[in-house]
Amino acid sequence: MSLEGKLALVTGGGRGIGRAIALKLASQGADIIINFFRRREAAEQTAREIEALGVKTDVIRANVGDATKIDEMFDAIASKYGRLDILINNAASGVGRSVMDIDTKAWEWTMDINVRAALLCAQRAAKLMEGRGGKIVSLSSLGSFLVWPTYAVVGVSKAALEALTRYLAIELAPKGICVNAVAASFVETEALKFYFDEAFKKHGIPATPAGRMVTPQDVANVVAFLCSEEAFMIRGQTIIIDGGLSLYSPLFAKEKG
Amino acid sequence: MNVEEQIREIVARITHVDKSTITRDSTFKEIKADSLDIVQALVAVEETFGIEIPDEDAQKFRNFGDFVSYVENRVAQKETV
Repeated sequence: MSLEGKLALVTGGGRGIGRAIALKLASQGADIIINFFRRREAAEQTAREIEALGVKTDVIRANVGDATKIDEMFDAIASKYGRLDILINNAASGVGRSVMDIDTKAWEWTMDINVRAALLCAQRAAKLMEGRGGKIVSLSSLGSFLVWPTYAVVGVSKAALEALTRYLAIELAPKGICVNAVAASFVETEALKFYFDEAFKKHGIPATPAGRMVTPQDVANVVAFLCSEEAFMIRGQTIIIDGGLSLYSPLFAKEKG
Repeated sequence: MNVEEQIREIVARITHVDKSTITRDSTFKEIKADSLDIVQALVAVEETFGIEIPDEDAQKFRNFGDFVSYVENRVAQKETV
Protein backbone atom coordinates (compact mmCIF):
# COMPACT_ATOMS: atom_id res chain seq x y z
CA MET A 1 0.00 0.00 0.00
CA SER A 2 2.07 2.93 -1.21
CA LEU A 3 0.84 6.46 -1.06
CA GLU A 4 4.00 7.85 -2.56
CA GLY A 5 3.46 11.17 -4.32
CA LYS A 6 0.03 11.67 -2.75
CA LEU A 7 -0.84 14.83 -0.85
CA ALA A 8 -3.04 14.45 2.24
CA LEU A 9 -4.73 17.03 4.45
CA VAL A 10 -5.48 15.85 7.99
CA THR A 11 -7.71 18.26 9.91
CA GLY A 12 -6.85 18.27 13.60
CA GLY A 13 -3.73 16.33 12.64
CA GLY A 14 -1.46 17.62 15.40
CA ARG A 15 -2.44 15.26 18.19
CA GLY A 16 -4.45 12.23 19.20
CA ILE A 17 -6.01 10.12 16.46
CA GLY A 18 -5.29 12.76 13.79
CA ARG A 19 -1.61 12.63 14.64
CA ALA A 20 -1.56 8.82 14.37
CA ILE A 21 -3.28 9.05 10.97
CA ALA A 22 -0.87 11.73 9.74
CA LEU A 23 2.12 9.61 10.76
CA LYS A 24 0.65 6.44 9.24
CA LEU A 25 -0.07 8.09 5.87
CA ALA A 26 3.40 9.66 5.94
CA SER A 27 4.96 6.25 6.66
CA GLN A 28 3.36 5.07 3.41
CA GLY A 29 4.94 7.91 1.50
CA ALA A 30 2.23 10.61 1.44
CA ASP A 31 3.13 14.27 1.92
CA ILE A 32 1.07 15.65 4.77
CA ILE A 33 -0.61 18.97 5.47
CA ILE A 34 -1.46 19.16 9.16
CA ASN A 35 -4.33 21.46 10.05
CA PHE A 36 -4.54 22.53 13.68
CA PHE A 37 -6.43 25.14 15.64
CA ARG A 38 -5.54 25.39 19.32
CA ARG A 39 -2.26 23.50 19.80
CA ARG A 40 0.55 24.87 17.67
CA GLU A 41 3.37 23.16 19.60
CA ALA A 42 1.75 19.74 19.19
CA ALA A 43 1.20 20.31 15.45
CA GLU A 44 4.78 21.45 14.92
CA GLN A 45 6.11 18.48 16.88
CA THR A 46 4.05 16.08 14.72
CA ALA A 47 5.32 17.86 11.60
CA ARG A 48 8.92 17.30 12.72
CA GLU A 49 8.20 13.59 13.23
CA ILE A 50 6.63 13.40 9.77
CA GLU A 51 9.62 15.11 8.16
CA ALA A 52 11.88 12.54 9.79
CA LEU A 53 10.01 9.90 7.75
CA GLY A 54 11.34 11.54 4.58
CA VAL A 55 8.18 13.15 3.24
CA LYS A 56 7.17 16.80 2.94
CA THR A 57 4.92 18.40 5.50
CA ASP A 58 3.11 21.67 6.02
CA VAL A 59 1.24 23.11 8.99
CA ILE A 60 -1.84 25.30 8.53
CA ARG A 61 -3.75 26.93 11.36
CA ALA A 62 -7.51 27.18 10.84
CA ASN A 63 -10.62 26.90 12.95
CA VAL A 64 -12.68 24.53 10.81
CA GLY A 65 -15.77 25.65 12.73
CA ASP A 66 -15.48 28.93 10.81
CA ALA A 67 -16.45 28.66 7.12
CA THR A 68 -14.27 31.65 6.19
CA LYS A 69 -11.21 30.00 7.73
CA ILE A 70 -11.88 26.78 5.79
CA ASP A 71 -11.94 28.83 2.59
CA GLU A 72 -8.69 30.55 3.53
CA MET A 73 -7.05 27.18 4.26
CA PHE A 74 -8.11 25.70 0.91
CA ASP A 75 -7.16 28.90 -0.94
CA ALA A 76 -3.66 28.49 0.53
CA ILE A 77 -3.52 24.80 -0.46
CA ALA A 78 -4.82 25.56 -3.96
CA SER A 79 -2.27 28.29 -4.60
CA LYS A 80 0.68 26.39 -3.12
CA TYR A 81 -0.03 22.85 -4.40
CA GLY A 82 -2.93 23.14 -6.86
CA ARG A 83 -4.10 19.62 -5.92
CA LEU A 84 -5.10 17.30 -3.10
CA ASP A 85 -5.37 13.49 -3.08
CA ILE A 86 -6.57 12.66 0.41
CA LEU A 87 -8.77 14.53 2.89
CA ILE A 88 -9.12 13.24 6.43
CA ASN A 89 -11.96 14.97 8.29
CA ASN A 90 -10.65 14.34 11.77
CA ALA A 91 -10.96 17.65 13.65
CA ALA A 92 -13.72 17.45 16.23
CA SER A 93 -14.97 19.21 19.27
CA GLY A 94 -17.91 18.93 21.60
CA VAL A 95 -19.52 19.94 24.80
CA GLY A 96 -20.10 17.24 27.40
CA ARG A 97 -23.69 17.75 28.51
CA SER A 98 -26.86 15.78 29.01
CA VAL A 99 -29.55 16.21 26.35
CA MET A 100 -31.60 18.52 28.58
CA ASP A 101 -28.64 20.86 29.07
CA ILE A 102 -27.71 21.35 25.41
CA ASP A 103 -28.19 25.00 24.41
CA THR A 104 -27.94 26.54 20.94
CA LYS A 105 -24.36 27.66 21.57
CA ALA A 106 -23.15 24.14 22.42
CA TRP A 107 -25.20 22.67 19.55
CA GLU A 108 -23.89 25.08 16.92
CA TRP A 109 -20.28 24.88 18.10
CA THR A 110 -20.30 21.08 17.89
CA MET A 111 -22.24 20.81 14.62
CA ASP A 112 -20.15 23.47 12.90
CA ILE A 113 -16.88 21.69 13.70
CA ASN A 114 -17.98 18.06 13.46
CA VAL A 115 -20.38 18.14 10.49
CA ARG A 116 -20.46 21.44 8.61
CA ALA A 117 -16.65 21.50 8.40
CA ALA A 118 -16.65 18.00 6.88
CA LEU A 119 -19.11 19.17 4.22
CA LEU A 120 -17.23 22.38 3.40
CA CYS A 121 -13.82 20.66 3.38
CA ALA A 122 -15.17 17.88 1.13
CA GLN A 123 -16.63 20.44 -1.28
CA ARG A 124 -13.34 22.30 -1.57
CA ALA A 125 -11.24 19.11 -1.60
CA ALA A 126 -13.35 17.55 -4.37
CA LYS A 127 -12.47 20.49 -6.63
CA LEU A 128 -8.75 19.92 -5.96
CA MET A 129 -9.23 16.19 -6.71
CA GLU A 130 -10.99 16.93 -10.02
CA GLY A 131 -9.60 14.81 -12.84
CA ARG A 132 -7.24 12.87 -10.57
CA GLY A 133 -9.60 11.11 -8.13
CA GLY A 134 -9.13 11.05 -4.41
CA LYS A 135 -10.04 9.67 -1.00
CA ILE A 136 -12.05 11.28 1.75
CA VAL A 137 -12.28 9.62 5.16
CA SER A 138 -14.20 11.12 8.08
CA LEU A 139 -13.85 10.20 11.74
CA SER A 140 -17.12 9.20 13.32
CA SER A 141 -17.70 7.46 16.63
CA LEU A 142 -19.69 4.56 18.06
CA GLY A 143 -21.52 7.29 19.98
CA SER A 144 -23.44 7.94 16.73
CA PHE A 145 -25.67 4.98 17.58
CA LEU A 146 -24.80 4.01 21.14
CA VAL A 147 -25.82 6.28 24.00
CA TRP A 148 -23.02 7.45 26.27
CA PRO A 149 -23.35 9.82 29.23
CA THR A 150 -22.99 13.52 28.26
CA TYR A 151 -22.08 12.55 24.68
CA ALA A 152 -25.45 13.57 23.21
CA VAL A 153 -24.52 16.53 21.02
CA VAL A 154 -21.34 14.85 19.78
CA GLY A 155 -23.19 11.58 19.12
CA VAL A 156 -25.84 13.41 17.09
CA SER A 157 -23.16 15.26 15.12
CA LYS A 158 -21.43 11.96 14.33
CA ALA A 159 -24.70 10.39 13.13
CA ALA A 160 -25.08 13.35 10.75
CA LEU A 161 -21.47 12.93 9.65
CA GLU A 162 -22.14 9.29 8.71
CA ALA A 163 -25.21 10.31 6.68
CA LEU A 164 -23.14 13.02 4.98
CA THR A 165 -20.52 10.37 4.16
CA ARG A 166 -23.12 8.31 2.29
CA TYR A 167 -24.38 11.26 0.27
CA LEU A 168 -20.87 12.44 -0.58
CA ALA A 169 -19.84 8.90 -1.57
CA ILE A 170 -22.57 8.60 -4.18
CA GLU A 171 -22.31 12.13 -5.54
CA LEU A 172 -18.51 12.07 -5.80
CA ALA A 173 -18.19 8.47 -7.09
CA PRO A 174 -18.32 9.51 -10.79
CA LYS A 175 -15.36 11.81 -10.10
CA GLY A 176 -13.27 8.87 -8.87
CA ILE A 177 -13.44 10.03 -5.27
CA CYS A 178 -13.95 7.36 -2.60
CA VAL A 179 -15.70 8.63 0.53
CA ASN A 180 -15.95 6.59 3.73
CA ALA A 181 -15.90 6.95 7.49
CA VAL A 182 -14.56 5.06 10.47
CA ALA A 183 -16.23 4.82 13.87
CA ALA A 184 -14.14 3.80 16.84
CA SER A 185 -15.20 3.05 20.38
CA PHE A 186 -13.34 4.77 23.19
CA VAL A 187 -9.80 5.59 22.13
CA GLU A 188 -7.49 6.76 24.86
CA THR A 189 -6.45 10.27 23.83
CA GLU A 190 -6.32 13.59 25.60
CA ALA A 191 -9.74 14.47 24.17
CA LEU A 192 -11.39 11.65 26.13
CA LYS A 193 -9.21 11.70 29.23
CA PHE A 194 -12.32 12.68 31.17
CA TYR A 195 -13.64 9.12 30.72
CA PHE A 196 -10.42 7.20 31.18
CA ASP A 197 -10.00 6.52 34.85
CA GLU A 198 -8.93 3.13 36.19
CA ALA A 199 -12.55 2.06 36.78
CA PHE A 200 -13.38 2.77 33.16
CA LYS A 201 -10.55 0.60 31.91
CA LYS A 202 -11.42 -2.11 34.42
CA HIS A 203 -14.90 -2.41 32.89
CA GLY A 204 -13.96 -1.43 29.32
CA ILE A 205 -11.44 -4.20 28.71
CA PRO A 206 -13.71 -7.14 29.70
CA ALA A 207 -16.50 -5.54 27.61
CA THR A 208 -14.22 -5.69 24.57
CA PRO A 209 -13.92 -9.24 23.17
CA ALA A 210 -10.61 -8.34 21.48
CA GLY A 211 -9.17 -7.97 24.97
CA ARG A 212 -7.88 -4.40 24.98
CA MET A 213 -8.94 -0.82 24.32
CA VAL A 214 -8.73 0.67 20.81
CA THR A 215 -5.56 2.68 20.15
CA PRO A 216 -5.03 5.64 17.79
CA GLN A 217 -2.85 3.29 15.68
CA ASP A 218 -5.78 0.86 15.26
CA VAL A 219 -7.83 3.71 13.79
CA ALA A 220 -4.95 4.97 11.63
CA ASN A 221 -4.46 1.50 10.13
CA VAL A 222 -8.06 1.34 8.90
CA VAL A 223 -7.98 4.93 7.63
CA ALA A 224 -4.81 4.14 5.65
CA PHE A 225 -6.50 1.08 4.15
CA LEU A 226 -9.49 3.22 3.09
CA CYS A 227 -7.01 5.60 1.43
CA SER A 228 -5.49 2.75 -0.59
CA GLU A 229 -6.55 1.44 -4.01
CA GLU A 230 -7.39 -1.91 -2.38
CA ALA A 231 -10.42 -0.20 -0.80
CA PHE A 232 -11.65 1.21 -4.14
CA MET A 233 -15.01 -0.60 -4.06
CA ILE A 234 -15.90 0.47 -0.50
CA ARG A 235 -18.15 3.53 -0.76
CA GLY A 236 -20.10 5.49 1.81
CA GLN A 237 -19.46 3.00 4.58
CA THR A 238 -18.68 3.57 8.22
CA ILE A 239 -16.19 0.94 9.35
CA ILE A 240 -16.48 0.10 13.03
CA ILE A 241 -13.25 -0.29 15.00
CA ASP A 242 -14.21 -1.45 18.46
CA GLY A 243 -12.73 -4.90 19.14
CA GLY A 244 -16.29 -6.26 19.11
CA LEU A 245 -17.56 -4.02 21.92
CA SER A 246 -20.76 -2.94 20.16
CA LEU A 247 -21.78 -6.54 19.32
CA TYR A 248 -21.12 -8.08 22.68
CA SER A 249 -23.09 -8.06 25.89
CA PRO A 250 -20.97 -8.58 29.01
CA LEU A 251 -24.16 -9.93 30.60
CA PHE A 252 -23.15 -13.29 29.17
CA ALA A 253 -19.55 -13.15 30.37
CA LYS A 254 -18.62 -16.10 32.52
CA GLU A 255 -16.48 -15.51 35.57
CA LYS A 256 -12.96 -16.71 34.94
CA GLY A 257 -11.28 -19.35 37.12
CA MET B 1 -10.92 51.61 24.54
CA ASN B 2 -7.76 49.96 25.90
CA VAL B 3 -6.86 46.27 25.58
CA GLU B 4 -8.22 45.40 29.04
CA GLU B 5 -11.59 47.03 28.39
CA GLN B 6 -11.93 45.35 24.98
CA ILE B 7 -11.22 41.92 26.48
CA ARG B 8 -13.62 42.60 29.37
CA GLU B 9 -16.38 43.41 26.86
CA ILE B 10 -15.70 40.22 24.88
CA VAL B 11 -15.69 38.01 27.98
CA ALA B 12 -18.85 39.65 29.37
CA ARG B 13 -20.66 39.23 26.04
CA ILE B 14 -19.78 35.53 25.80
CA THR B 15 -20.47 34.61 29.43
CA HIS B 16 -23.48 36.92 29.87
CA VAL B 17 -21.89 38.35 33.00
CA ASP B 18 -22.09 42.05 33.99
CA LYS B 19 -18.73 43.43 32.88
CA SER B 20 -18.40 45.62 35.98
CA THR B 21 -18.05 42.42 38.05
CA ILE B 22 -15.00 41.22 36.08
CA THR B 23 -11.77 42.32 37.79
CA ARG B 24 -8.18 41.36 37.08
CA ASP B 25 -8.38 38.94 40.00
CA SER B 26 -11.52 37.18 38.75
CA THR B 27 -10.98 33.53 37.94
CA PHE B 28 -12.79 31.97 34.97
CA LYS B 29 -14.78 29.96 37.49
CA GLU B 30 -15.92 33.16 39.21
CA ILE B 31 -16.91 34.60 35.82
CA LYS B 32 -18.87 31.34 35.33
CA ALA B 33 -17.02 30.66 32.09
CA ASP B 34 -17.17 27.01 31.01
CA SER B 35 -14.63 25.45 28.62
CA LEU B 36 -16.67 26.46 25.56
CA ASP B 37 -16.96 30.08 26.81
CA ILE B 38 -13.20 30.19 27.32
CA VAL B 39 -12.33 28.90 23.86
CA GLN B 40 -14.86 31.25 22.26
CA ALA B 41 -13.39 34.19 24.20
CA LEU B 42 -9.89 33.19 23.07
CA VAL B 43 -11.01 33.04 19.44
CA ALA B 44 -12.78 36.42 19.67
CA VAL B 45 -9.73 38.04 21.29
CA GLU B 46 -7.42 36.51 18.68
CA GLU B 47 -9.50 37.98 15.89
CA THR B 48 -9.88 41.37 17.56
CA PHE B 49 -6.14 41.81 18.07
CA GLY B 50 -4.81 39.74 15.16
CA ILE B 51 -2.76 37.46 17.41
CA GLU B 52 -2.60 33.73 18.10
CA ILE B 53 -3.08 32.37 21.62
CA PRO B 54 -2.20 28.65 21.62
CA ASP B 55 -3.80 26.48 24.30
CA GLU B 56 -0.30 25.77 25.61
CA ASP B 57 -0.21 29.45 26.70
CA ALA B 58 -3.90 29.86 27.59
CA GLN B 59 -3.72 26.98 30.07
CA LYS B 60 -1.38 29.08 32.22
CA PHE B 61 -3.90 31.89 32.78
CA ARG B 62 -4.95 31.81 36.44
CA ASN B 63 -7.37 34.71 36.16
CA PHE B 64 -8.67 37.48 33.92
CA GLY B 65 -5.61 39.62 34.73
CA ASP B 66 -3.23 36.95 33.38
CA PHE B 67 -5.27 36.82 30.18
CA VAL B 68 -5.13 40.62 29.80
CA SER B 69 -1.38 40.84 30.55
CA TYR B 70 -0.64 38.12 27.99
CA VAL B 71 -2.62 39.91 25.29
CA GLU B 72 -1.07 43.30 26.19
CA ASN B 73 2.40 41.78 25.80
CA ARG B 74 1.55 40.10 22.51
CA VAL B 75 0.02 43.27 21.09
CA ALA B 76 3.08 45.30 22.18
CA GLN B 77 5.41 42.72 20.55
CA LYS B 78 3.37 42.89 17.38
CA GLU B 79 3.64 46.68 17.28
CA THR B 80 7.42 46.64 17.68
CA VAL B 81 7.90 44.07 14.87
